Amino acid sequence: MDLTSLLNWIIFLPLIGAVVVLFAPAQMARSITWLFTFGVFLLSCALFGPFWDGSAFKGEYGVMQYETIVKWIDVGGFHINYHVGLDGISFPLIILTTLITWLSAWASWNFDHWNVNRGPKGFFALFLLLETGVLGTFAALDFFLFYIFWEVMLLPMYFLIGVWGGPRKEYAAIKFFIYTLAGSVLMLVALLAMYYTSGDAVGGDGTFNLIDYATKPAIIQMFNDEATRFLGWNFGQAMFVMLFIAFMIKVPVFPFHTWLPDAHVEAPTPISMILAGILLKLGAYGFFRVCYPIFPEAAQSLAYGVALLGVINIIYGAFCCLAQTDFKRLVAYSSISHMGYVVLGIAIMTSTGFQGAMFQVLAHGISSPMCFFLVGVIYDRAHHRDLNRFGGLWLAMPRYGSLATLGFFASLGLPSLCGFIGEIWVLLGTFNAPFPWAKPMAVVAAFGVVLTAAYILWMIQRVYLGKKKEEYAEFPDADARETAILIPMAALAIFMGILPSYTFRLMNGTIDRMLNDVIGPAMAVAFGG
Amino acid sequence: MMQYQTALALGVLIPLISFTFLAFTGHKLGKPRASYVALLAIGLSCLLSTYVLVGWMGDTPDERAALAADAYRFDWGRVGDIPVTVGVKLDSLTVIMYFMVTFIAFWIHFFSIGYMEGHSDEVDGVSKYHRFFTYLSLFCFSMLGLVISSSLLFLFIFWELVGLCSYLLIGFYFDRKYASDAAMKAFITNRVGDFGFILGLALVVLHLNTFDLDEAAANFATQFNTGTGIFASPISLFGYSLATLMGIGLFCGAMGKSAQFPLHVWLPDAMAGPTPVSALIHAATMVAAGVYLVARVFRLLTPEAQYFIAVIGCITLTITALIAIVQTDIKKVLAYSTLSQLGYMIFGMGMGAWVAALFHLMTHAFFKAMLFLGSGQVIEGCHHEQDIRKMGGLRKKMPVTCWTFFIGVLAIAGFGIPGAHFGLGGYFSKDEILAVAYDRAFNIPDLKQTDAAADDAGEHARANGQLQTANSEVKTDPAIRLASTSEASVSPFAISNSLLASGPEQGGEDAHHADHATGTPEKLKIAATLPVVPKWMFWLPIIIAYVTPFYMMRCWWLTFCGRPRDHHVYDHAHENWKMYLPLVILAGGTVFCSFWMFRDMIHDAAAAATNSPAVVAIDGEAHSIAEAGNGAMLMLDHAVGRSAHDWLKLGVGWSWLIGMGIAVMIYRGGLALGDRFKRMFGPVHTALDNKLYFDHVYDSVLVAGTTTFGFVCGTFDKYIIDGAVNLVAKLTAWFGKFTGRQLDMPVERGDWGIVDAVANGLSATMLDIGSQIRRPQSGRIRNYVCFTAGVAAVALLVVLYFDQIASGSFTFYQWIVQKTQALAQGS
Repeated sequence: MDLTSLLNWIIFLPLIGAVVVLFAPAQMARSITWLFTFGVFLLSCALFGPFWDGSAFKGEYGVMQYETIVKWIDVGGFHINYHVGLDGISFPLIILTTLITWLSAWASWNFDHWNVNRGPKGFFALFLLLETGVLGTFAALDFFLFYIFWEVMLLPMYFLIGVWGGPRKEYAAIKFFIYTLAGSVLMLVALLAMYYTSGDAVGGDGTFNLIDYATKPAIIQMFNDEATRFLGWNFGQAMFVMLFIAFMIKVPVFPFHTWLPDAHVEAPTPISMILAGILLKLGAYGFFRVCYPIFPEAAQSLAYGVALLGVINIIYGAFCCLAQTDFKRLVAYSSISHMGYVVLGIAIMTSTGFQGAMFQVLAHGISSPMCFFLVGVIYDRAHHRDLNRFGGLWLAMPRYGSLATLGFFASLGLPSLCGFIGEIWVLLGTFNAPFPWAKPMAVVAAFGVVLTAAYILWMIQRVYLGKKKEEYAEFPDADARETAILIPMAALAIFMGILPSYTFRLMNGTIDRMLNDVIGPAMAVAFGG
Repeated sequence: MMQYQTALALGVLIPLISFTFLAFTGHKLGKPRASYVALLAIGLSCLLSTYVLVGWMGDTPDERAALAADAYRFDWGRVGDIPVTVGVKLDSLTVIMYFMVTFIAFWIHFFSIGYMEGHSDEVDGVSKYHRFFTYLSLFCFSMLGLVISSSLLFLFIFWELVGLCSYLLIGFYFDRKYASDAAMKAFITNRVGDFGFILGLALVVLHLNTFDLDEAAANFATQFNTGTGIFASPISLFGYSLATLMGIGLFCGAMGKSAQFPLHVWLPDAMAGPTPVSALIHAATMVAAGVYLVARVFRLLTPEAQYFIAVIGCITLTITALIAIVQTDIKKVLAYSTLSQLGYMIFGMGMGAWVAALFHLMTHAFFKAMLFLGSGQVIEGCHHEQDIRKMGGLRKKMPVTCWTFFIGVLAIAGFGIPGAHFGLGGYFSKDEILAVAYDRAFNIPDLKQTDAAADDAGEHARANGQLQTANSEVKTDPAIRLASTSEASVSPFAISNSLLASGPEQGGEDAHHADHATGTPEKLKIAATLPVVPKWMFWLPIIIAYVTPFYMMRCWWLTFCGRPRDHHVYDHAHENWKMYLPLVILAGGTVFCSFWMFRDMIHDAAAAATNSPAVVAIDGEAHSIAEAGNGAMLMLDHAVGRSAHDWLKLGVGWSWLIGMGIAVMIYRGGLALGDRFKRMFGPVHTALDNKLYFDHVYDSVLVAGTTTFGFVCGTFDKYIIDGAVNLVAKLTAWFGKFTGRQLDMPVERGDWGIVDAVANGLSATMLDIGSQIRRPQSGRIRNYVCFTAGVAAVALLVVLYFDQIASGSFTFYQWIVQKTQALAQGS
């Protein structure tokens, strides 16, 4: 069976679903969404083949699976293609997206009980539109298409927070929107600059092909040449910095992170799950797909700054966690801290670092939606999130308490759960990186493990341990739906922690190819052979 | 015939199955049945370990080597290019540790069935009985996994898992604040140690390029011999070389788990957990894992790292023993005594007394588990009373507990009859550790002098043709030369008290009458570089050898002897067989393993675990030189050994009697005399009673400092960073308003030109941030879209004409520079 077009179906099926939701009766919206997201998840599982048996990694960097190229806009000098395809970096993220979106759709099942004044139709339609945007961004190999999907993802998110959010939803939504848009503008500028410069390189019309940027010798030469200038700056560095800022806002990296806690606090639970589990990964994916393979020399020369931001994220995020009294805000800051490992792992540009960063992306993609859902479960019951008012929930809700402990320990980075692998890989990689500053940074970052333990355990103590409180004594334990949502994430957290090689095998091939074919030569030049 | 590795791996997995089973069905199984599952699981593991132990003991060294060589490894992943394998490490150390853990764990499970009936009362309607056994199974899995790990990364993974179990079980009564506080403290303190462990691990990976323990040791040895790799690194910190730092980093993990100064503060608090947990995890097995780790990575420890370890151990054993004197909670006394004994083990390891330290670990595990179970029986019998001041006279009510506890007290006190080869475990192991300490403190300094002399003498001897060297390669090294001279039996130093007087044993000479230390020339070479140990590191452990019997006897006497001080407690006291049967078994084990059991195995283990040219281990026992060590270890000189042992026999051989005697004298008549001493040493007592203020300092400096800094970061984030964001928004909004008014565009909504829309959209958007609370209007959405479009348009313009703009701005920039320069020149 030819599966080539499957990827396109996966990307646009949610869009069809969105249309269906709009025309279907309002009370059916959630069921339709559930079915569509689940169907997309099942379809995406059919993509496993070449990544599982390793045949996807036979070629050089840039050889894609399920690739589709269709001319889309071809006017004037612009050649924009509908170009999608998967490799070891995007594929695991596609699976993560379809899984988490499905679980989030399930988490939206109790929509009717939310304290909102807009109906479910718009919510679920936007929800599905969001999935298309995200999947498209992960699959796009044409920079313009990437940008379009990036924007497509942005607007639904804005409305999902701004219309169906908490008391300060307006503020949070606009903050999210403006921040990401500011990044998009930079990306747009870089996009066009790269288009024209690639045109100069090949002596004709430019290209938006992300793979060509990284693999065509003429373009590589032009992009990384000292003589190429952009507004007076070194072209490679200017592009790298602009794109890096565009993506770092999404990750988010200090100091552009303050939209995240606000967005999370105001967003409804399933939207938080998607935001933390998937949307933050878009930033990391941008680093992997755009920044690093295309501008390895700039990345190498700016590695110190990137790594420093990563370490600041880890430590500063953890310290901020200690100061939080809002449960969701704490989990949001813990996301910032954990994404710091991703930034640090990428910054050092070694095999261990990339593996660790990529694994951390996936691990956090599992553990953080789980944590946000866990918060949501008690928010549904208590209608507040004040850490200091909770207590004794493990006794009140034993099943939920056990799953919560597992989820937060996964987030803590306990060995045998998913969070540990990414962290230890990044720390070991940083320690062994060929930069003189890497060791001190690894030492500082390693101290994060102590802080992480401190804020997570303190939170567990305040929320779950202690005597049962009167006001929470009658809370029902996690029901079948809630348990069913938590179980896949819990199982994956354990599976990824115990047998990480099954996750690594999906992506290591591409990481190796990228390092050998694209980044390695640049690094070799930089380190003098 | 089951392969040993399979048996061991199976023994690890069975508790995991039990854990999984109980985690899902425990609450349905209910009170007694859940415990049977866990007991059955650990029982099977214990049987498997017995099978391995018996088989292993019957094998000859060659057979053992053949069995261990069987590659029982599976690929698990790779870190960069370094593969990570999961495998079973099969050697004598694994086999004895494994047996010890399963045996003790089995009897503690047995004890728990009776004990937990009364101690897992339903809290708020939720029974936690099954949870206890679920966690216990998880612990057994993790601890056994730790023991069999052949990879340092897996050792770390299981290391963290036992930490998790410890957390869950200390916090078992988590409805009580102190229990959850203690659990948190334990975990976080351990994480501080793990921070060092991770860095040590990173150094291993960086320089030894492997996670495998054996490979790491082999690479370490090669690098040591060739002066490459980690030994070539110029990096140093606080005067320690990188190789030493690696060892210290790994040891940091042990400092956390084995609760060594300055991370010892969590263990006394950990007594908040149920007593069987204190016995199993916080006395016998998990806290000993730190010592086990040091034993495992011994081949990666440089002499400086060992010295560091010895200092930490010495400080720990001293301060905790002193604090133990004033404790009044029966479990706290035992907790501090555990700390002190762990200090002895770590101290021994650091001194190079590998065999003695591990022997101490084994015997301690048995008697301390028994003591804790005894205390559990007492607490259970006395209606949850833990204060020894309220007990007294209990021997009549609980005789079995009383006398088994007494055996434990004797064992920890170092009961033995000097002169006769008779005593309980602590007597031999402590004696050996002290003998090595004596040697390091007194003989090595002598040696250093001798060594210097040997330099001259060696030259002299060679000049005179008196030197016969078997090995010409070693001629140039003074220490080796020293060894060679004595080999020739003409050495003037052979009669000196030098530890390092000889090379390998000479044929025909009776091992028991050899006048020389044994060890390969390489050993001697390293031994000559051992740091000089200050004298206090010998005297402090000696003094504490008198303190230990005192506080243990005080605890026993106040609990079981004298007149009952609280009749409410006394009348309630009782014991039952389900709980004292394990006591009897473990008491038997204590006596048994003092004489037989592990001695040869430990020697065999030591031969492998210390066999590296880079490190030196010293065997303090003078009796079994010939069979022990196989040349891997350095033996105490017999003359020295004997004299040290004789000296020690007089010095500490009777310490148990003296210490216990003093305790009886003071507490014979109840608490009155003790209270008088308390008043006499008022300030000292207060300081000890406050645990030397470690907790105070940590709480007010580290904990408060961290949370304060967290608060500062949170505030900074809220007001400075986010404040800046909001300020930018406000300024933009103000600017939008300003331009809006200035340009004064009377435009209807929906009737905007694109350029106006940019300005209006911008200002409207920013205004929203300024006034956040307005409800959403559908009209505004259009603004955002317009805004996006406008920004995109501007960006497009910029890029389309960016050449012009670029050159234009560059011209502008040049113009500015020129103007500035002109201005500067003008003025």
